[in-house]
Amino acid sequence: MSEDPSTETAEETQAPYHWIGKNVTKPDALEKALGATEYVGDMVVPGMLHGKILWADTPHAVIKRIETEEAARVPGVHAVLTSKDVPGSNRFGLAVPDQCALAEEKVRSVGDAVALVAAEDEEAAEEAASKIKVHIEHLRPILTYADALDPDAPKIHEGGNVFQHTTVRKGDLDKGVRESAVIVENAYHTHRMDHVPMEPEAGLAYVDPSGVLNILVGTQYPYRDRRQIAPALGLPMNKVRVIQAPIGGGFGRKDDITAEIHVGLLALKTRRPVRLVYTREESLVANTKRHPMAMNFRTGASADGRLTFLDGDIYGDTGAGVSLGAYVIKKAGIHATGPYDVPNIRVDTYTLYTNNLTSGAMRGFGVMQAAVAHESQMDQLAHKLGMSPLEFRLKNCLKPGLASSTGQLMNEGCGIEATLQRIKDYMSARELRFNRPEAASSDS
Amino acid sequence: MKQRYVLRVNGRDLEAEAGAHESLLDVLRERLRLTGSKKGCNEAECGSCTVLLDGRPVVSCLVLVPDAADRDVVTIEALAEEGVPHPIQRQMVEQGGVQCGYCTPGMIMSAYALLRDNPDPTDEEIRFAISGNICRCTGYGKIVKAVRAAALEMKEQSGNGGAAS
Repeated sequence: MSEDPSTETAEETQAPYHWIGKNVTKPDALEKALGATEYVGDMVVPGMLHGKILWADTPHAVIKRIETEEAARVPGVHAVLTSKDVPGSNRFGLAVPDQCALAEEKVRSVGDAVALVAAEDEEAAEEAASKIKVHIEHLRPILTYADALDPDAPKIHEGGNVFQHTTVRKGDLDKGVRESAVIVENAYHTHRMDHVPMEPEAGLAYVDPSGVLNILVGTQYPYRDRRQIAPALGLPMNKVRVIQAPIGGGFGRKDDITAEIHVGLLALKTRRPVRLVYTREESLVANTKRHPMAMNFRTGASADGRLTFLDGDIYGDTGAGVSLGAYVIKKAGIHATGPYDVPNIRVDTYTLYTNNLTSGAMRGFGVMQAAVAHESQMDQLAHKLGMSPLEFRLKNCLKPGLASSTGQLMNEGCGIEATLQRIKDYMSARELRFNRPEAASSDS
Repeated sequence: MKQRYVLRVNGRDLEAEAGAHESLLDVLRERLRLTGSKKGCNEAECGSCTVLLDGRPVVSCLVLVPDAADRDVVTIEALAEEGVPHPIQRQMVEQGGVQCGYCTPGMIMSAYALLRDNPDPTDEEIRFAISGNICRCTGYGKIVKAVRAAALEMKEQSGNGGAAS
């Protein structure tokens, strides 16, 4: 590794701090390296049953009837549960409680849980789950942005398929267009993405002698879990204890409820400890993903290379549940200008329900999707202007004293200019160039 | 239908009742309670279940238990000797190669097999050796650094820079 003075900062070498700037050994690293750490899927307690989920496996349908009798007769089975067996609201969700722990009258995505089984071993639980018969009537699935925006489409939830519309407005868009020497207009699509934490979701629950439902789970947020578990299962808050187990990667998805309510319900009903461990396939189908977004952006710049306006629409597919989608998609709109000073802005975002998998938090929280669009626009504008993409960014980036799209005044914590300058210094020291034409040729 | 299998795990003969369709990984984890080997995908994509079978690194989720009977199995639990972590384990900790830790045992087993056969690997050879082990947290850089540091430590331990066997 080459030591490059331009990658050091003065603060790092001079700070009188105890911890900042120093390497600290992670306290639980050794037990993990020894293979001694017990994640939930590694835990066994006496009398433990194994839980299994029957997934909907169809995107949009009305549930007519569920037959569980044959499943209940499988030897070793202790419980076969449907939404009728849930003692509480059966609802959860981080922003709004729009997800059912077990599907009631409707299936809204292939990742909806329809029934639960607890059995002496995993094989019996699996066999029983395969013997549950779900009678359904298919509904038109809402799978695209256009489907969700179609006023004649069936409503996935009662309030309609557009959950939220947000706006960002700044300056005078018409003025910005008039002042533009170059304008680029493009449509961008980003795809759904799974976090794929190495540990698939798992939970272990038991009711202790004082009647408290204890749930061990690799979660990012035990107290917010509890606020969702207790009403869903009809328990007072002080009868639910969520215990943070070692977490084998989360990246945002374990912000939401995963196995908690299901494994808790099975423990409540069987009065036995129950462990529920997802397969990788289940983990890919169920729980939250990164939002796919469709972004139509029109961006302008003046002849001297200053951004003049952004005119954009962002459609976010939050799937069958909002989770944190309303915040993620709103944030994509707020960050649609990227770290650049744009005087005139119109950006609208739409959080859309579909029958696809529910999307929620994932590293970057909407900012990554917006970056695909605004950085591509920046490159194309620079190309049209015949400017270096780096110089174009340096000229337009936010600096202390300037304000963001929503009026937040930048202070000394705004590091984009210094970052770009360091890239510039690095490239010029090594005579590196951009692997793309630097000047506009025939197409401007 | 369950049968009795004898597995030579970490130098000891252990008996397990298991179905012939069960994987070595499931038998290690659920029947022998050796849970250091992890189940990340159960289809040989992620490498977190890596163990040594007759000295070779294998993904234990794809080995059926009859195929492992009467053969030598080495798991992560055997690497520390008398409570002293193996140099790879120690360096994974010191170099920051461990984050969530779920891939760590499998990663260490792949590195262990590498350093036993090749005590002085290049970074390219380290990367190739762990190419079957997926990590979602670290970005691999610090893991490669840890394996490199462990190789150095093992070479110093073995005296005059000879083979680390």
